[in-house]
Amino acid sequence: MSKTDLPDAKAMLDSRGLYDGPTIHSMNPLLLMEKIIRERIIDSMYWKEQAWGLNAATLLDRAVELQFIGGQYANQKPTPFICLILKMLQLNPEREILLEYVQDEDFKYLRVLAAFYIRLAWPAPEIYKTLEPLMADYRKIRLRTQSGYKLTFVDEFIDELLTKERVCDIALPRMPTRAQLEDLDELEPREPLVSDVESDEEGDGEREEGEMMEE
Amino acid sequence: MSKPKGVYDNAATGDTSFRRTWDRDEYAQKAAERLAREARERKERYEAKLAGKKYIPKSEPDADAKETKFDDSKMIEARRDRIRLDENLNKVQIVPLGTTGGRRGKGPGYYCEACDLNFTNSLEYVEHLNSKQHLSATGQTDAVERATLEMVRERLAWLKQRKHDQDKAEEFDLGKRLAERKKIEEQERLERKERKKVKKEEARTRKAQMSTENSEQSGLVDEDAAVMARMMGFGGFSSTKTR
Repeated sequence: MSKTDLPDAKAMLDSRGLYDGPTIHSMNPLLLMEKIIRERIIDSMYWKEQAWGLNAATLLDRAVELQFIGGQYANQKPTPFICLILKMLQLNPEREILLEYVQDEDFKYLRVLAAFYIRLAWPAPEIYKTLEPLMADYRKIRLRTQSGYKLTFVDEFIDELLTKERVCDIALPRMPTRAQLEDLDELEPREPLVSDVESDEEGDGEREEGEMMEE
Repeated sequence: MSKPKGVYDNAATGDTSFRRTWDRDEYAQKAAERLAREARERKERYEAKLAGKKYIPKSEPDADAKETKFDDSKMIEARRDRIRLDENLNKVQIVPLGTTGGRRGKGPGYYCEACDLNFTNSLEYVEHLNSKQHLSATGQTDAVERATLEMVRERLAWLKQRKHDQDKAEEFDLGKRLAERKKIEEQERLERKERKKVKKEEARTRKAQMSTENSEQSGLVDEDAAVMARMMGFGGFSSTKTR
């Protein structure tokens, strides 16, 4: 892998000749995003000013500052979230770096950003293995749409990534369902997070009883 | 009084002082250099033709310049701050005469000092700041250092620490501010109490004065009124309605 990154996406989108850079799903990573939204991103001020010259480390500065997620808002302006997704597709960070992003507890928008990238770029079994544990994260996130802000949660967003075809105005690559992968023996059956909750509930019940007694 | 002078009679400035002046010697030297270079080139071309080869012009000075530039150039770093596009908003600027069109030289709009170029809209200006031309003028290469896992970890730890410090500072501030606010409110309350006390005191003294004056005057007033009322044919201004 090269020791340097490009400051922008110009060279990777050069349509003359054959593309010989890094690939995802055996294609140019930037083409995972549709042409229209990709061009809107590249024309946007955020891309030119804030997303220019980032690498996988300095990308964190921008990801930490995110206030909302979403595809396009207002009059079809791309959100900073989607701009950073394109940036990550261009940078193509290593697996370990992405795990570092996802497993961080402090910054929820960084986690969501990395989860979205993983859904776009990684093979299906890996996606399930990496993203399913994140469903235990119930923090609130803001989703900005064409009509305004909406409230959603990290676990809800992860579920959308795993089940829906189109999230944040981007068509996700096709992925077999969990059941299909289990039949192919590529995935173990999922261990439900609920089993933990039951024991918790017992604890809660006891505490409530104690409180009742005190009253 | 002398005759008023027109614009073109102004001897102090000279009627054509706004025009550019040229250093004639410099341009003469440049012309001589160019002639010598062309003569040399012609000679080389002729010799190449005699030898049956294709003439390839050498551009030595350019190559030298590029090499020296490349040595101390550094990789691009991400922007630390936002580009201040509204820096000159609502400001009056003096634009030099003769900069009517074109991008060379300072004019109205966004000006890049490194490249001596002027732009009339922000998007063009930002694009220029990202361009190879600007990068080479400011001694940068067209590449970004690729981040390793260690760099990412370091950055993340730093950001966490920063967030932690900010939260802490805010908490500390909140307690302090509450205490300050309490002090101020206490002071205000005392002041208000004092003012109320003074007002009450004043009101009481005034009332006492009024009552003594009234008791003195009321006799007189009543007598006059009774006389007047009797003259007018009624007992007083109070109601006469019987129940």
